[in-house]
Amino acid sequence: MAENKNEVVVKTKSNKFKVIKRNRMTFGDRIFYLLDYLFFTVFTFTCIFPFYYIFINTISDIDKVNKGMVNFVPKGITFQNYLDLMAVSDLGTALMVSVARTIIGTALMVIATAFVGYLMTKDEMWNKKFFYRFLVITMYFNAGLIPWYMNMQMLGLTNHFTAYIIPSIVAPYNIILVKTYIESIPSELEESAFIDGASYMQVFRKVIWPLSKPILATIAIFGAVGNWNSFQDSLILMSNEPKLYTLQHRLYIYLTQTSNIGKVISSDKTAVKQAAASAKIIKYTISMVSIVPILLVYPFMQQYFEEGIMLGAVKG
Amino acid sequence: MTDKNKEASVGSLSMFSYGINRIVSLVMFFLIFISNINPVRVATIVNKNSSLFTSAISYTTLTSDVGRGFRQNWVSEDSFYLIMVAAIVLLVGIAAVSVASCLSLGNNKCKRLSFLISVIGTVVMVVGFALVVAAHSSMSSSTRVEKVGPMIPKGFVVYIVLTVIGLLTAVLGFIGVPKKKENELFEMESKYKLFLMFLPFALLAFVFCYLPLWGWRYAFFDYKAGDILSWDKFVGFKWFTYLFKNAATKREIVNVMKNTLAMSFLGIATSWLPVAFAVFLTEIKNLPYRRIVQTFTTIPNFISWILVYTVALSIFSTDGFINTFLSTVTNTAHNTNYLMGDSHTWLKMLLWGTWKGVGWSAIIYIAGISGIDQQLYEAATVDGAGRFQKIWHVTIPGLMPTYMVMLLMGIAGMLSNGLDQYLVFSNAKNMAHMRVLDLYVYQLGIMGGSIPLSTVIGMAKSIISVALLFMANSISKAVRGESIV
Repeated sequence: MAENKNEVVVKTKSNKFKVIKRNRMTFGDRIFYLLDYLFFTVFTFTCIFPFYYIFINTISDIDKVNKGMVNFVPKGITFQNYLDLMAVSDLGTALMVSVARTIIGTALMVIATAFVGYLMTKDEMWNKKFFYRFLVITMYFNAGLIPWYMNMQMLGLTNHFTAYIIPSIVAPYNIILVKTYIESIPSELEESAFIDGASYMQVFRKVIWPLSKPILATIAIFGAVGNWNSFQDSLILMSNEPKLYTLQHRLYIYLTQTSNIGKVISSDKTAVKQAAASAKIIKYTISMVSIVPILLVYPFMQQYFEEGIMLGAVKG
Repeated sequence: MTDKNKEASVGSLSMFSYGINRIVSLVMFFLIFISNINPVRVATIVNKNSSLFTSAISYTTLTSDVGRGFRQNWVSEDSFYLIMVAAIVLLVGIAAVSVASCLSLGNNKCKRLSFLISVIGTVVMVVGFALVVAAHSSMSSSTRVEKVGPMIPKGFVVYIVLTVIGLLTAVLGFIGVPKKKENELFEMESKYKLFLMFLPFALLAFVFCYLPLWGWRYAFFDYKAGDILSWDKFVGFKWFTYLFKNAATKREIVNVMKNTLAMSFLGIATSWLPVAFAVFLTEIKNLPYRRIVQTFTTIPNFISWILVYTVALSIFSTDGFINTFLSTVTNTAHNTNYLMGDSHTWLKMLLWGTWKGVGWSAIIYIAGISGIDQQLYEAATVDGAGRFQKIWHVTIPGLMPTYMVMLLMGIAGMLSNGLDQYLVFSNAKNMAHMRVLDLYVYQLGIMGGSIPLSTVIGMAKSIISVALLFMANSISKAVRGESIV
């Protein structure tokens, strides 16, 4: 490659390397950057455009959507669709269930994970090594869907809200993350608290909890997203209790049972088409409602998300 | 913990009794969740799926099978109230006995209190048993005894035996504890304190992660949803051989395995994509641009598969973006539903998976690249390496360890494609190419009600997955000298 020979001749001290390279952009470099930028721009576009497209459809005038006029910009802006959602039965309950499980489930999981993570750093605990393995094994081994379901049924958790909460309190993967993090906190802090006569609980509340807030925020975010998105437990466990379906489950039902929402039956062809179109728009609107919390939270929490995946990578 | 006032030790017989006592309390504690061993199920009319715990907390569950019985006045509601009260009393007693056995881990003062609580708990339980007997006689005196079917539940006997053992061991343990001393305080060694703090979580993990293994027994029985397991339905390995003998099932399994492995191999074959994504993104030195790309390409990872399906609908369905756009541009109607057909199904699923995951998976490699020593690049430049040579000889080797871990984890999870994606994207036309193992087990077990057969498949899956994990782990140990689990 000829262009690099040029660079080498000029470059003597490593620090000046970048400047030189930018000044001497060769033809090959230009092509490379053009393609590189092009690819990432297009891919990023495919990641946002669908959401944008769904959104502009939900805020546009239904007639214009129907005529296929809404492709890139919203036309005849109206928020009627969002208001109409209130008339869709069961949606409010589903929203409540999802919000409740996200808040309660995540809070309990975080508290339990922090506490168990702390306990797992205490080597003096009776049979600590055994119990640590006891938790870790569950990450790699499970009995399977049906035995799990039969177990939940035996425990009386089917068709009951607590089925969303209790099983997710102990989260082994998060416990490992928190344990690793607490081990990195200087042990002097804890020791001095013990010398001052603090109990384990006090040390946990006053020392460990405040110091491990970054990692707890990370697992809280992951837990909340997981809870918000989960639909398998609702699908499998709540078969006889539609009141307890989560928002995702409701959405799944609306998506798969096509003409369920429109509910406008008419022999008139245009009316049928109209109903189909409005059913589509209602689906989109519900989707928007369930995406928005994540889209709102995401930019602020991105740092925590990325910390989370990095922690997972170095856990060892 | 401190040796200041060293206390007299407890005899070995006593210690042994406490050991037994703790085990008995633990067993009692677990049995309250098991519906087969419900001491308050004094009549066949009582819901058979109700455990002692559910009997105590949910009257509706307890009486869910009795609707007709109440309407026809076969049985009075009072009997059921009695059952529920008995269950609550028993639970209180069991709770006391459990607390007592935990407390017996402490010093002599704790042990004495433990004995006291244990005796109180036992007395409460005896009251509970009396109430159960009363409920039984109330059931026996109902107007249509043959419909109500009063009986002595197996759990009743089990619990009485356990209570007697529990009380005996508590007494035996208490005898060995030395007399009270002046100014003695409640104390417990910190190792036991920590253990007791952890115990509730250990129990939760046991109940939700280990107890399901008990469900593997369904694989050996001729079980239909709603039945009660009994030994006369024991069929041994019938369902295991059924998998291979029944031609239709065999065909299905072969098809399912083909889909599962195809999807996994496609996933593994494209597992380098996030690496390439990271490498080419970091070649761009414009940081704000990179930030934007990273932010938006990771969003799909955080939405559920159902929302991904909405995205698919909005773009590819009959009235989705592509059709609408084409219709507007060409002025002719376009009505192709790209989601319905069965062409290139595996490829489509792979693309959706990639769209959802690639940006997210790349983050770990982007961080890896920023961790590579810059001097290596400088040295390579001095040696005359070009852009691609630097990528190939510096960046890629630097990312290799992380990639290997990801690859091995991918191999270990080969049989788990997940249910959500295939469930939402499947339809009547493409099912033949969509039915992966997780979806098959769901359809067979939950929707079709073939509990034993789907348990057998789930068992095989679990065992093979663990074997794969160990294999991947030993490969990792041999190649990198580090384990991945």
